[in-house]
Amino acid sequence: MTEANTVDATLRALLADVLGLGEARAAALTGDSGLFGELPEFDSMAVATVLTEMEDRLGILIDDDEIDGEIFETYGNLLAFSQRKVTG
Amino acid sequence: MTTPNPEHVLRIAPAGLPRATILIVPPLFEEANRTRRTLVLAMRALAAERFAAVLPDLPGQNESVVPLEQVDLVCWQDALAELVSGIDGPTIIASFRGGALIDQKAKAKAWWRLAPVGGASLLRTLMRARVSADREAGVMSSLEGLQDEAKTAPLLLAGNRLSSAMIAQLGASEAQVVEPLRSAGLGADGIAGTPLWLRAEPGEDAAMAEAIAADISVWSKTCGIS
Repeated sequence: MTEANTVDATLRALLADVLGLGEARAAALTGDSGLFGELPEFDSMAVATVLTEMEDRLGILIDDDEIDGEIFETYGNLLAFSQRKVTG
Repeated sequence: MTTPNPEHVLRIAPAGLPRATILIVPPLFEEANRTRRTLVLAMRALAAERFAAVLPDLPGQNESVVPLEQVDLVCWQDALAELVSGIDGPTIIASFRGGALIDQKAKAKAWWRLAPVGGASLLRTLMRARVSADREAGVMSSLEGLQDEAKTAPLLLAGNRLSSAMIAQLGASEAQVVEPLRSAGLGADGIAGTPLWLRAEPGEDAAMAEAIAADISVWSKTCGIS
């Protein structure tokens, strides 16, 4: 598996765990799939949980000021942000 | 005569003399709500294996009359130690996630932990939830600013008003060495299941509850409880 694929798989598993999406819904997420504001489960506590789990599972550190609303707008944005962080 | 424990304790016990008492130390804060149902299912499965299982309210949590901002991790450790000192027969402590940060002061025959987590990680999530909620409300706050504020005053984090002492202790707290200990994670080498404690909407997992009870039962035999 390439690194990009690993980040994608890790992120889908993480969203499935936090949002209780189930494997099928997590696998069906596309770049355009809306997250914050679109999925009712995705509240501010879920955002916080996702960020901490991203740090643990992807081995990255996320600074407060790196986070803006856009990152959580779509799955594609979140994935692009994660890949940028992982490749440093 | 000692003062009775003022906190509510859920106890599920078999008919007759139990093999041992399993003290369930739940995850902390919101994670406790997300896992409670599955923990109670595990307690029922343990009772079927002739264990008594007890799940106490920590002071300041659930039905407790103590305000949360008056407690800290040391207070929770003391409450658990006092509870265990009043239990007849051997006790095994089964702690989950942040429960592992408060389970070391009680005198037990053995310890069992699932997915222990550092206090700093829990605190970071609580602080982030506050920052995120503040932003939705149009208020700018930051992790750094909140940490400074917490040094002198209680802080409201995701619905929990936490004292300066609690926040300082959480930030520095790691699970302590206890003996004998089985520390399990999720997955093939540990407990099959999903991290329900992360889930935005509380769920339940009966198979995971059975797996938890079975694992604790096997571990108790290893520790000499027949």
